[in-house]
Amino acid sequence: MSNIVEAKGLCKSYGKFKALNNVDLSIPNGSISGLIGPNGAGKTTVLKALTGLCDVEGELSVAGRDPREARHKLMQDVCFIADVGILPKWLKVSQIIDYVEAVHPKFDRSKAEKFLSTTEIPANKRVKELSKGMVTQLHLALVMAIEVKLLVLDEPTLGLDIIYRKEFYDRLLNDYYDGGRTIIISTHQVEEVETLLSHLIFINKGKIVLDAQMSDLAETYTEVLVDADKLAQADALSPIHIRNLLGKKSYTYESVPRSQLDVLGELYTPSVADLFVAKMKEDKHG
Amino acid sequence: MKDFILKNRYTLLLTTLTLYMAVLVAEGEITGREARIIDFENPFFDFNISNWEDFVDENR
Amino acid sequence: MDKILLRQFYALLRREVLEHRNLFLGAPAVVAFLILLATIWAANQIPNDQLVLGLEYLAMLFDGLSPFDMASFFMILSIPFMLTLYVCCLVYLINTLYQDRKEMSVLFWQSMPVSNLNTVLSKVVTVVIVAPLFYVAVIFGLYLIAMIWLTVLGYSNDVDLAGLGWLFLAALASLLLIYASTFVATLWLLPTIGWILLFSAFARKTPLLWAGGVFILVGFLEDFAFGTQYLANWVESRAANLNQYLILDFQNVLGRLFNYDMLFGVILGSILIAGAVYMRRFTD
Repeated sequence: MSNIVEAKGLCKSYGKFKALNNVDLSIPNGSISGLIGPNGAGKTTVLKALTGLCDVEGELSVAGRDPREARHKLMQDVCFIADVGILPKWLKVSQIIDYVEAVHPKFDRSKAEKFLSTTEIPANKRVKELSKGMVTQLHLALVMAIEVKLLVLDEPTLGLDIIYRKEFYDRLLNDYYDGGRTIIISTHQVEEVETLLSHLIFINKGKIVLDAQMSDLAETYTEVLVDADKLAQADALSPIHIRNLLGKKSYTYESVPRSQLDVLGELYTPSVADLFVAKMKEDKHG
Repeated sequence: MKDFILKNRYTLLLTTLTLYMAVLVAEGEITGREARIIDFENPFFDFNISNWEDFVDENR
Repeated sequence: MDKILLRQFYALLRREVLEHRNLFLGAPAVVAFLILLATIWAANQIPNDQLVLGLEYLAMLFDGLSPFDMASFFMILSIPFMLTLYVCCLVYLINTLYQDRKEMSVLFWQSMPVSNLNTVLSKVVTVVIVAPLFYVAVIFGLYLIAMIWLTVLGYSNDVDLAGLGWLFLAALASLLLIYASTFVATLWLLPTIGWILLFSAFARKTPLLWAGGVFILVGFLEDFAFGTQYLANWVESRAANLNQYLILDFQNVLGRLFNYDMLFGVILGSILIAGAVYMRRFTD
């Protein structure tokens, strides 16, 4: 099975509001996938559906199981960190470690303690006495000590200052990711993750707007800084987005061969952030 | 059937309560359960629910 | 496989006790403290020689008699503790499947490979087996302190201490009665436990209001729609059978456990508990 997540036609409504509108997803094994979208796009709903924390309609298979049926079995192979400070506030650090050790067959206590020793988190403090950054450090230390196939991170660095954020991704990549595990990160801070990702997914208003390998991006998407006299030609090729850049107009194209665009001006591969804006705006204009 | 029961929390609650009441009523029918008299000295408490009307008349 | 499950379950029970130390340790300790205070105050009101006479009488009364027969003597002391236990269990149950959804820590608990069934069962086991254990331990502590005090009093006044020994044994035997009472009572009340757990898992706000409100509503609807009173009758039969709440002697403890009404209650309770287990899927 080369895809650790296979989802087809996921739908979820809260009353009249469609959080997920026919979402299809295929996430390859061993990839680092970014699920990027504006607030309210459905990122959290997708991730909760993948981990069985939220009921959805449609076909769904994660690590070979249906998360809706056997959540607790799935949790042996999947770990989840959510953006809200979800560690129970009244528990002491040592008590959380004891609990996870007793409850999770794949938890390695010595690993967790090794990670924690590099932080300033004292073992006998309660979670409510820790700063937000420390809580994330603690949660990450716990998660990294578990042998999971899939790690799902929902805006893990939200509200953290830059030192904690950088350290978070550092640890994730260097200490944790070994090419065999899959990581799915949702965020709206695109710049932070774009260098990490191998797979990119854009979501907006409950729909998947882009789903591609990072390595394919350069082939499909091109940004052109169009010379002033070629504007009409540029328009004719149906750009998905136009913006002003350095006094010139920059056109973004999807699936238009570079050979056709060469004549219009300078070519670039759009950054993930720019591509994100382009796709969001394209969605707006329909 | 299962789709309906587990569709949302309200359908689940409804199903659970319906099943609960069904079993309770069935048992009540079969065993002929009646309200017992709670024994207290106080006559105000010494009544059976099925005698409610008599009770009301008595104490009018 | 079984060993892992047991280890998990023990961790779950530990979590419950840690999270609710106030209800399971604090509350009975407060009650014990108050009883101790009241006793010391009362003892101070009585002149010393009358106190010693009372002590001698007690020692004589209990001397040589079977602790199991004399245990009922102490059951009256257990009543404030048992009432406290029931209130604390009520508070515990109504919050236990609600609180973690309110503060979102449910996302952590459910990210662990612990099934909803085990989660809910651990809460039932906490109420039926674990919480009463802590209460009994506190009562034991109280009796120990009282015993030491009485022994000191007796020793300094030349009272025959052998009888006091029998007194203490009877007090200890009463601990067994207390635990048996709470065990039988909580099992007897399994439908109530299930009802509260169901609404604790269901409600987005004010779970107690939901639990009480729906109960009244269902009773009312039944009468209104069918003219029957099965729910009211059944609740009444549950509440009125005082035998199942307080066990005053060691005869026929088993009879209270293994009878038809108890079994039927367990079945009904299980339906509601199953509902609560499935209800855990809805975390939003």
